[in-house]
Amino acid sequence: MSADLNFARLRSDGAASIRTRAAIPPTVLMSLLVVLVVVLWSLFPSVFTGYSPVNGDTGSKLDSPSLQHWFGTDYLGRDQYARVVYGTASSVTSALVAVAIGLVAGSAIGLASGFRGGWLDATLGRFVDVLLAIPGFLLAVVIVSSLGFQTINAAIATGVSAVAVFARLMRAEVIRVRRSTFVEASYLEGGNRLQALLTHVLPNAYRPVLVLAVLQFGTSILVIASLAFLGYGDPPPSSDWGLLVASGKTYVTAPWLVYAPALVIVATVLSINRISRWLRNPS
Amino acid sequence: MSSGYGRFALARAGQAAVVVLLAYVLTFLVISVLPGDAITNSLRDPQSGLSEADIQRIVSYYGLDQPVLVQLALSLGRFLTGELGFSLQSNLAVSQIVGDALPSTLTLASTALFIAVAFAVAIAYGAHYAPPRWAGILRCIPSFFLSVPNFVIGLVLIELFAFRLHSFTTTDPNSATATLFAAVTLAIPVSAPLAEVLIAGLDHESRQEYALVARSRGLTGAQLFARHLVKPSALPSVAMIALIVGELLGGSVITETIFGRDGIGTVVQKAVTGEDQPVLQAVVSLSAVVFVAVNLAADLLTPLLDPRVNVREAANA
Repeated sequence: MSADLNFARLRSDGAASIRTRAAIPPTVLMSLLVVLVVVLWSLFPSVFTGYSPVNGDTGSKLDSPSLQHWFGTDYLGRDQYARVVYGTASSVTSALVAVAIGLVAGSAIGLASGFRGGWLDATLGRFVDVLLAIPGFLLAVVIVSSLGFQTINAAIATGVSAVAVFARLMRAEVIRVRRSTFVEASYLEGGNRLQALLTHVLPNAYRPVLVLAVLQFGTSILVIASLAFLGYGDPPPSSDWGLLVASGKTYVTAPWLVYAPALVIVATVLSINRISRWLRNPS
Repeated sequence: MSSGYGRFALARAGQAAVVVLLAYVLTFLVISVLPGDAITNSLRDPQSGLSEADIQRIVSYYGLDQPVLVQLALSLGRFLTGELGFSLQSNLAVSQIVGDALPSTLTLASTALFIAVAFAVAIAYGAHYAPPRWAGILRCIPSFFLSVPNFVIGLVLIELFAFRLHSFTTTDPNSATATLFAAVTLAIPVSAPLAEVLIAGLDHESRQEYALVARSRGLTGAQLFARHLVKPSALPSVAMIALIVGELLGGSVITETIFGRDGIGTVVQKAVTGEDQPVLQAVVSLSAVVFVAVNLAADLLTPLLDPRVNVREAANA
């Protein structure tokens, strides 16, 4: 799943809106809890597990999940739960980096092209078309292969492949807002373009873009996990979620090595998607 | 309509050609970020089995001893005449490598597209006509499908159906059953956004007056769906078809790796690990050609499928 489809999904929902005062549905509460746990895992991994993610106990190789080892142990006797918890920081931070790149670069392009129009819009529009023309995941693969196989490069690649989606949404929103009466009124009051942009256009255009950013956060986790799965991230002994699944799949007799990190990925992305859906359309 | 449509079609085709050329240039520049020596290093790797004369021929063919812009001009000129160059790993023509891999990926992707559309229609139909409790669950499925990584779906299917139920073996990835499971893996993330768009379309269309009129004529839910609602609800998904093709191409890298198939995705994977830039360049730019062509076809079809779409407005969009 790459960035490209998120745009179509947002558009199909109609205008996005954020309602501030509404009861939080139980599923959203659960999703927020999951995200909180993931954030805590990445900030304070040692609080959540006493095991080392690097050094294993050679006496207990490929143990199935138990009270001592919640997610079992791998071929070196390392606790899989500890590997997942310590891998969280890199998996989550890289997704944040990816979203930040897409959000900042994409918004800047969209803002400039929607607000300025004319030749700038035409030029930037072609650039965005070109970024969109290369399938998102392939673009990410090419960029990461060119920058080198590291998780941070995978994050940059994922971010760049999402720029076009942010740019298109921001442009559409800016054009919608730019034509409203209150923006014209600000010109009549003698405001200049920059003032109008900062005080009127941006505050009224950014919300759907932020909702996209939340959705894109989940997508980025998936894309970066896929790149790590292919071996384009940091090599072992680092334990990015995607890498854990990839190294677990060779041990057919120990399926928990695949299922545990896979479940963590699914739970995290599902929660983020639920939150983004709630922000779009509170119910 | 005809002259307006002709001008619209011509403008769109021109834009498409420009986008393809620029996509080639962008890909070339991204790939060339690699320091130039890396290529000659990988060529000189004793394991590549290339003689000094081979290396000299490759270096002069790609102009590797010249500035990047000269290399770009050389490469772009060849691309325009349909020449894709030679692999740095195997010395085979890139067109041959791509040609050999294409049938496998086409089979996989077309099966996946078929499955994705079937899933999407089933989910959307169920979400609309099933009893409320089930409909509620069905409405959550697209979001769930989008939260599961492609590689997890593939590994779970292999674990369940190959290792436990012995429906297929991973040693014979091209058998019909193995292809079917690979296609399901590829189809699931693609079916989700399609289902979302279809559900939104159905919600919208069934509130229209013509749906009420058809209902009052005594049509059942299924008749109404098949005769009146499907076509307008599916229209927005025509615009998504190019994105879906892109998803299928990108997803094939993972799916083919997991199922051990020899397709375009595997070619990409090998080119990346082997720093085989001509192969990577060719596959990525050909994907852009496919994406742009499908997008163009969808744009040109939309006004013909839906007379409400104004050609002149669409041309300026």
